[in-house]
Amino acid sequence: MRVRLDNIHKAFGHVQVVKGLDLEVADGEFLVLLGASGSGKTTALRMIAGLESVTSGRVLIGDRDVTDVLPKYRDVAMVFQSYALYPHMTVFANIAYPLTVRKTPKAEIEAQVKEVARQVQLDTLLDRFPKQLSGGQRQRVALARAMIRRPAAFLMDEPLSNLDAKLRGYMRAELKHMQHQLGITTIYVTHDQIEAMTLAHRVALLEKGVLQQLDTPANIYNRPANLFVAGFIGSPPMNFIDGSLSAGRFTAPDSDFGTLSTITRASVVAGVRPEDGRVTEPHAGKLTGTIYATELMGDHTLVTCRIGGATVTVKADKAFNRQDGAAIGVDFAESAVHLFDKATGERIN
Amino acid sequence: MSASAANAAAASVRETRGEWMDRNSGRIMVLPAVIILLAFAIFPLIISTYLSLSRFALAGGSFKLTFIGLYNFRRLLVGAQQYHFLGTLKPLDTAGWIAFAVFLALVLYWLFRFVVREFSVFGLLGRLISASLACGVVLAALATTVTGGYEGTLLTTCFYVLFGVTLQFALGLGLALLCAQPIRARNWFRVVFFVPLMVTPVGVAYMFRMLADMQKGPFAPLSHALGFSEWSWATQAWSARLMVLIGDTWQWTPFMFIVLLAAVENQPREQLEAARMDGAGAWQIFRDITWPSIAPIGATVVLIRLIEAFKIIDMPNVLTAGGPGLATESLTLHSFIAWRTQDLGGSAAVGYLLLFVSTICCVSFFNYVVRWTRRYQ
Amino acid sequence: MSHSPDTRPLLTRLFEPARLDSMAPIPKIATYAALFFWTLVVVFPLYWVLVTSLKVEVDVDSGPFYVPFLDFMPKLDAWDFMLLQNNTLGPYLNSIFVSLTSTLLALLIGALASYALVRIRFQVKLAAVLTFVLLVVGVIVAVAAFDAPWQLAVAVAAALFALALSTFVKRFRAAVGNNDIEFWMISNRIMPPIVAVLPIYVMFQHLHMLDTQFALIATYTGVNLPIVVWLTRDFFAGIPLDLEESAEIDGASKFRVFFTIALPLVRSGLAATFMLVLILTWNEFLLALFLTNANAQTMPVLVAAQNTTRGPQWWYMSVLIVIMIAPVIVIAGFLQKHIARGLLVGAVKG
Ligand SMILES: Nc1ncnc2c1ncn2[C@@H]1O[C@H](COP(=O)(O)OP(=O)(O)O)[C@@H](O)[C@H]1O
Ligand SMILES: [Mg+2]
Repeated sequence: MRVRLDNIHKAFGHVQVVKGLDLEVADGEFLVLLGASGSGKTTALRMIAGLESVTSGRVLIGDRDVTDVLPKYRDVAMVFQSYALYPHMTVFANIAYPLTVRKTPKAEIEAQVKEVARQVQLDTLLDRFPKQLSGGQRQRVALARAMIRRPAAFLMDEPLSNLDAKLRGYMRAELKHMQHQLGITTIYVTHDQIEAMTLAHRVALLEKGVLQQLDTPANIYNRPANLFVAGFIGSPPMNFIDGSLSAGRFTAPDSDFGTLSTITRASVVAGVRPEDGRVTEPHAGKLTGTIYATELMGDHTLVTCRIGGATVTVKADKAFNRQDGAAIGVDFAESAVHLFDKATGERIN
Repeated sequence: MSASAANAAAASVRETRGEWMDRNSGRIMVLPAVIILLAFAIFPLIISTYLSLSRFALAGGSFKLTFIGLYNFRRLLVGAQQYHFLGTLKPLDTAGWIAFAVFLALVLYWLFRFVVREFSVFGLLGRLISASLACGVVLAALATTVTGGYEGTLLTTCFYVLFGVTLQFALGLGLALLCAQPIRARNWFRVVFFVPLMVTPVGVAYMFRMLADMQKGPFAPLSHALGFSEWSWATQAWSARLMVLIGDTWQWTPFMFIVLLAAVENQPREQLEAARMDGAGAWQIFRDITWPSIAPIGATVVLIRLIEAFKIIDMPNVLTAGGPGLATESLTLHSFIAWRTQDLGGSAAVGYLLLFVSTICCVSFFNYVVRWTRRYQ
Repeated sequence: MSHSPDTRPLLTRLFEPARLDSMAPIPKIATYAALFFWTLVVVFPLYWVLVTSLKVEVDVDSGPFYVPFLDFMPKLDAWDFMLLQNNTLGPYLNSIFVSLTSTLLALLIGALASYALVRIRFQVKLAAVLTFVLLVVGVIVAVAAFDAPWQLAVAVAAALFALALSTFVKRFRAAVGNNDIEFWMISNRIMPPIVAVLPIYVMFQHLHMLDTQFALIATYTGVNLPIVVWLTRDFFAGIPLDLEESAEIDGASKFRVFFTIALPLVRSGLAATFMLVLILTWNEFLLALFLTNANAQTMPVLVAAQNTTRGPQWWYMSVLIVIMIAPVIVIAGFLQKHIARGLLVGAVKG
C-alpha cells in the first residue's frame, strides 16, 4: 500500500531530529532511506511504524491518516536491527506470534508458518530456539515473522548490518527477490550505499533530518541534486574543484576547460567521478598536476593528484606505474562534469 | 663478599619479592576473605555442631559440656520440645489425610516426571531431600492448623517466609509495573517507595505496635466506630502473625520493587516494540515479553529474600515477643529464647535445624526455579 | 482493524490509549490511585513516628492526635531528653562508626576476592581442604572434650597440615575450582546468625574483646562478605577483558589493575552494594545484642531496649527511629542514581 509522509517534524526536547520530511512511497515500491549515522533515518522509520510520536506533520498509509494510530492498528511489519526475536519461543512460535495474538485458528497458523518458513528456507529449524541459530538464520526468522502478516508495508532498520560481508551479499539478493515476489511496499533503512543502490527502486537520501534527494539509484548516481549527495554517493567519492564559470567555461588554478553548460557564475564547484577521468601525459588533458599517491586496488589503480589547491583521484589501469611527484595530466569528457553552486550547493547543469 | 655483590643480592631479593607478589596475587586477594569466612562462619559452624550435640551446664564460675549425641535434636523432633519446634500435633482426620494424599501425589508426580525426563542420580537424591522436607512440613501443618493443634516455630517461620516473600514479590512487581508506565513524578515515587528498607526492623516493629494500638493509635477512632476497640490483635495467633507479616512486608517490598523496576525498565526494547507491532495487547506483552525477560532477575531477588527471610527475629521479638503463646515465635527467636534459658545445646540444635531447613529451601529454589528461569540465556 | 482514534468504541477508548505516549483514562486513574495508596502506606507510618516524636506523654495517652498545632502543641521534650540527657549519642556514634567501617572493609575484601575469582584460575586440592576441615574439627574436639590447651592443639594441627601438604595431598588429582570457591563463599550467607553467634561470642570472650567496636566490625565484615562477593562478581565479569589485559601489558600488577582499572569501572555496582550492606549493618540487631553491652552498643539494640516495664514510651522511641532513618536517607540520596542500575547488574546473573 502507498505510504506518505507529510511535512514530518520530530524533536527530542530541543533537538530537531527530523525537519520537514515529505515522502511518498508507491504501492509495491522498494524505497531505501539512506544517510549517515545520526541523520534521523531510524527516527523517521519509527514514526511510520508508530513507535515514535510525530511532533508535527501527518503519516498516511494507503488513504488512511495514521498519525495518531497505535502501532498495532497500522498494519505494518518491522524487521529490527537486533531482530528482536523472542528468546523463550521456538522459531515456530516466533514466526507465528503475530497470528497467535490475533487468535487465528491453530490449523491456519500451522499452514501459514510452514509456507513462510519454506520461502525463507527455515522449514527444518522450526523447533529450535533463537540462541541455537546462526546470525543469518535469525535474520530470516525476523523476516518470516514480518512476512507472515502480509502487512500493508514492510519496515526494515538496517536488517543486514549484523551479518558478515558474505552473508550480507547473499541476503541482499534474497531480500530483493522476496520483495519483488510479494510485491509489498518496503521502506528500508541503511547507511550502506551499496545496499541502497542494489536494492532500491528509489533512494531517499537524508542528512541532518532533511531530505536531500529522492530518485532512482541511477539518477542519484548520475545526476546528484547537490554537493552533499554528490559527495556521499560513490566510492571513492567524487572529486571537487572550486572555481568559476564564464559562459560555460570553467577556470580554476591549473585547470581550464569547457563544459556543456552555458552559464556564467563567479563561484562554482565542478565535480568529476574518479572513474570518469583518465590519466594522460602532462598538459595533454584538461587538468595538469603532480602525482600525490598511487594505490593498487587489484583490477585498477587509484591515482591521486594535486591540481592547483585541489586533490583529484582518478582510476587508472592496473599496470599504471609512475613515481609519486611526477607531473601528470587528467582528462575526462565534458559530459562527465557535474556543476554545483558553491553557496547553495545546488546542481546547476 | 664485596659491597656491590651484596647490593646485587639485595636487589635480586627485592625483585623476587615483587615477582612473588605478582605470581601469588590471586591467592593474596582471596586470602583475607577466606580467613574471615573461616573465622566467622566455618569455625562457629563446627563449634555449634559440637554444642548442639552436648549438654551445657553452669558449674561454679565455669561451664561444663557433656556430649549427649543427638539427644537435643530428638527432643525437638519427637521429644519433650516437639510442641515448641513442630507444634502440638493432633491426629489427622479423614479430610486431613485426603489433603496430605493429594499433596503426596503431586510430589510423586513431580519426581516421576523427573525420573522419566532427565534422570540423574544426584538430581534424584536432591529432589528426594526437597520432597521429604516439603512433605514433613505439610504434614506438620495439617496436623496442627487443620486439627486445631498449635503450630510450632518451624511452621511459623515457614509461614513468614512463604507468605511474606510471595506478598513482597507480588507487591514489588505490581508497583514496579505501575512505575514503569508513562506517568509523572516517577522518580518521586521511586524514592518514596525505597524508604521503608532503611528503617531498622526493630523500629518498624515498634512503629507498627504504635499504629496498631487500638486505644491510642491513629486508627483508634476507626476501631471505636466499628466497635472492636476492646479487641487486641496481639491476643489471637493468626492476627498476631499477620501483624508480623505486615511489618515484614512493609519493610521488604521496597527491595523487590527497586530491583524489579530496574528489570522492567531494562527489558529488551526492540522485543517490546516488535510485539507491539505484531499486535499484542498489554496483557499479552506482559506475558510474552516482560515476564520472561524479568523472570531470571525476579527469581534471583526472591532467592536473596528467601535467604534473609528465614533469619527473621527482630519483628516478632519486638512486636509480640513471640506471643500469644508461641504463635509468632520464629526459629531464630526460639533459639534465642533457649539460649536465654541457658539451654545452649537446645539453642544450637534449633539453629542447626533452621540451617538445614533454610539451606534445603534455598538450594531447592535455586536448582528448580532460578536455573529454570535462566534456561534461555 | 481500521479504527480512527475518534470513532473507537467507548470501551476501547476507556481502556486503550489514543496515542503512543499517553495512557487511557481508566488505566491512568487506576495507576495513580494505586501509587498514591502505596505512597500513603509508606509515608503515613513515618509521619506518625515523626509526629509522635513531637509529643509528650499526655498527648499520646489522651490521643490520638494527628496534626501538630491543630490537634496538639508540638514540643521538643522528647528530643531534648533523648539527645541531651539520655546517652543516645554513644550508641549513635558507635552505629555510624561500626557500620561504615565494616561496610567498607567488607566491600574491599569481598571485591578483592570476587575479582580474583572472576579473573584468576584457582586449583585447590580437595584433599587439602578435607585435611584442613578434619584438623579443625580435631582441634575443637581436643580442646572442648579433652581440655587440651588450645595453643598446643593449634600448633600440632598446623604442623600436621604442613606435613600433609608436602606429602600425600600432592598425589590426589581432585581439586576445587573458582566456581566451587565462589559457591562456598556465597553459601555462607544462608547460615542464620543465631548459629554462629554463640561461638563468636565465646571466641571474643576468650580474646577479651566482648563489647568492643572491633568485635562488631569484624563480625559484620564476615557476615556481609558473602553478599559482597555475590553482587560484585557479575560487575567484574562484565568488564571487557581487553581493558585489564592492556593495563597488564603496560606493566601494571594485578593489584594495580584492580585498584586503577577494575574498581573505577564498577563504581555503580559498588555503590549499590555499599548501600545494601550499609543498610543491613546499620539495622542489624541480633549480633549486636549478643556482642555488645554498654560500651559498643548500637542503635537497634538501644531502640529494642526502650521496652521498659511501663511499656514503650512512644515519644522517646520515635525520636530514636527518626534519627536512625535520617543518615541512611541522606546517603541513599547521594547514591540513588547508582543503586537501581547496580542492583540490576548484580541480580541479572545472580
Ligand atoms: N529517544 C531519543 N532521545 C533523544 N535523542 C534521540 C533519541 N533517538 C534518537 N535521537 C537522536 O536523533 C538523532 C537521529 O537518530 P537516528 O534516527 O537513530 O539516526 P540514524 O538511524 O540515522 O543513525 C541522533 O542524533 C540521536 O542522538
Ligand atoms: Mg539507526
